[in-house]
Amino acid sequence: MRTLTTITAAALSLLVAGTASAAGTEQPLDPANADDQLRIQVKMSCSLVEGTPTLYWWSGRVWARVPGEPNRLLFNVHGMNMRQCRVKQDPVRGFCYRSVSREVMFYLDPVTNEVARRWKSPWSGEEVDVVHVANDPVNARDWYCSRDKDGKPVDRSDNLSFKDDLLLEGGGAARLFYKSPLAGEYQDYVGGTYHAMEFGTSAASAVEALDAGDSELQDTLISWVRISRWLPWMKMGDRDGLVVFHTAGMRLDSWEQLPEVVRREVDTRYPSYKAPPPLDDLRPNETSWTVFKKFIDERRAKESPSN
Amino acid sequence: MFISRRSASQSSAFVFAAEVPSSRKTSFLAAAAVAALMAAVPATRAADMLDPAKPEDALLLNRKMTCSLEDGQTVIHWWRGSMLSRVPGERDRVLFNVQGMNIRQCGSFVDPKRGPGFRSVSREVMLYLDPQTNEVLRRWKNPWTGEEVEVIHVANDPVNMRAPTFAFGADGKPAVFRGSFVKGKAWTSGEAPLWYDNPLAGDYQSYVGNNYHAMEMLNSFTDAKALLNPAVRTLPSVSISWARVSDWIPWMKMGGRTGIIVFNTVGMRVASLEDLSEPLRSELKANYPAYLVPPPLDDSRPNETSWTYIKKVVDSRRAAKGD
Repeated sequence: MRTLTTITAAALSLLVAGTASAAGTEQPLDPANADDQLRIQVKMSCSLVEGTPTLYWWSGRVWARVPGEPNRLLFNVHGMNMRQCRVKQDPVRGFCYRSVSREVMFYLDPVTNEVARRWKSPWSGEEVDVVHVANDPVNARDWYCSRDKDGKPVDRSDNLSFKDDLLLEGGGAARLFYKSPLAGEYQDYVGGTYHAMEFGTSAASAVEALDAGDSELQDTLISWVRISRWLPWMKMGDRDGLVVFHTAGMRLDSWEQLPEVVRREVDTRYPSYKAPPPLDDLRPNETSWTVFKKFIDERRAKESPSN
Repeated sequence: MFISRRSASQSSAFVFAAEVPSSRKTSFLAAAAVAALMAAVPATRAADMLDPAKPEDALLLNRKMTCSLEDGQTVIHWWRGSMLSRVPGERDRVLFNVQGMNIRQCGSFVDPKRGPGFRSVSREVMLYLDPQTNEVLRRWKNPWTGEEVEVIHVANDPVNMRAPTFAFGADGKPAVFRGSFVKGKAWTSGEAPLWYDNPLAGDYQSYVGNNYHAMEMLNSFTDAKALLNPAVRTLPSVSISWARVSDWIPWMKMGGRTGIIVFNTVGMRVASLEDLSEPLRSELKANYPAYLVPPPLDDSRPNETSWTYIKKVVDSRRAAKGD
């Protein structure tokens, strides 16, 4: 059990943020304590030191799953997320944080590994523009806290395993099912709902995770999977089928550690993604669906200016 | 790497073995290209370290990611996570939590033409747990059909590489280690798209459908130095992330209903069966005693999958009823 002293120590380390590691005498974080569970999560996701830029990179592949045919490899992918977090101690809600980030993911030709610009759908035969993932922002909508509004601790231990030298995180999934920005006003009646599942898992050093003087888990390894309907730019309409992303990656220390293809593409086309959004960013989130809507709306406006 | 030599009739529910069948090489070569794009070889590799560019060393790297360089050394992988449904038109449902384990060993081979080789043999259990209480489920009420069915947990014995993998393939192609080396870590990442005759369906599947259709996804992470050091015979720390997308599991009795299931798990190598989570550890000891050790190194039985296993269960019940 945590003593009052260690709680104070933890709170102090939070207050002095950047200098916390200098002390080196803190009690370790307690994986059974709700506040510390969230601190561990923040160490993975960003940093206990507010405003520390955090860079994640991942790479993998995108497959098509269509009933009645073997899965097809469509693309290799490289993605990166540039993030920072606010942290605070709330008298009722306990330890809280909010993340803000920008994210890109590029579709690469699976044979040449060149960034794909056009893609011929093997199902429709139509060649379309590849619209890469470039979501700005990808933010937490609100503060995320260790306690609910009544001050009751939220237990996240189911998603955290400490074993030997490892901390394993994950095992659940984000089940996304909401009104598609690209479909009409009667989706409950005729379908078209946005429907996707995303799940990530992480692995990091257990010793570093529990070290109260260590504000981030700099060597966190990640796996990320996503299953959704066709991407809108694939122009697959109502055709049966799903896309499955499977990737692996890790937290990087610097921009230079990114693969060359990612650096070049971000430098030339998405330079604003080299820094996270401001900590107080309140813009609505972008998704591939909202980004594509802007893309197609602009194109339509150009093609038929009278409309 | 995790894909064993699979054929239409011998794909397991999942394996962590080491070779890609030639029919799926194209996609894995593409995956390898990504790996090559990354620093495929660490810049500061010492002379006495394994060299991923050498076929004999690539074989050893694959073997270390799969099991141990020591013949007969037992290696246990454990994982936990959840299983969800995806049905068009409804929000995905969390159906079960899962806990699984694979117990394996590897043996060495030598071929005059193909050089050194190895083969892994293993047994595998995965339990379906109540998503609220984490208790082992015995019965499950199907929310779509309303029918209550018996839960048949994954118990695949064996899950073996069909044949050894060597430093050089039968076609002379050198073994490749498809790994990424980043910031002192090393990992492999791959998918096995499975598409073959469904053992539970009929003899005209290419005409009327019902093929077995699944994809396994596995990432395995470890420390780069330990992996490249030939003196480290068994990796001290490996974490994994395993996912799977497939049609309904046969025991759910969903017939031809539209929908798929998705597994999402995280796990690691553990030192002994005592390190397994509950209830897996107790359930294993109580109900799966054969799974406390790997199969013998010379095991030549055909692989078991959840589909072949369930066929046996259903067939024996039908026989008992005199159907």
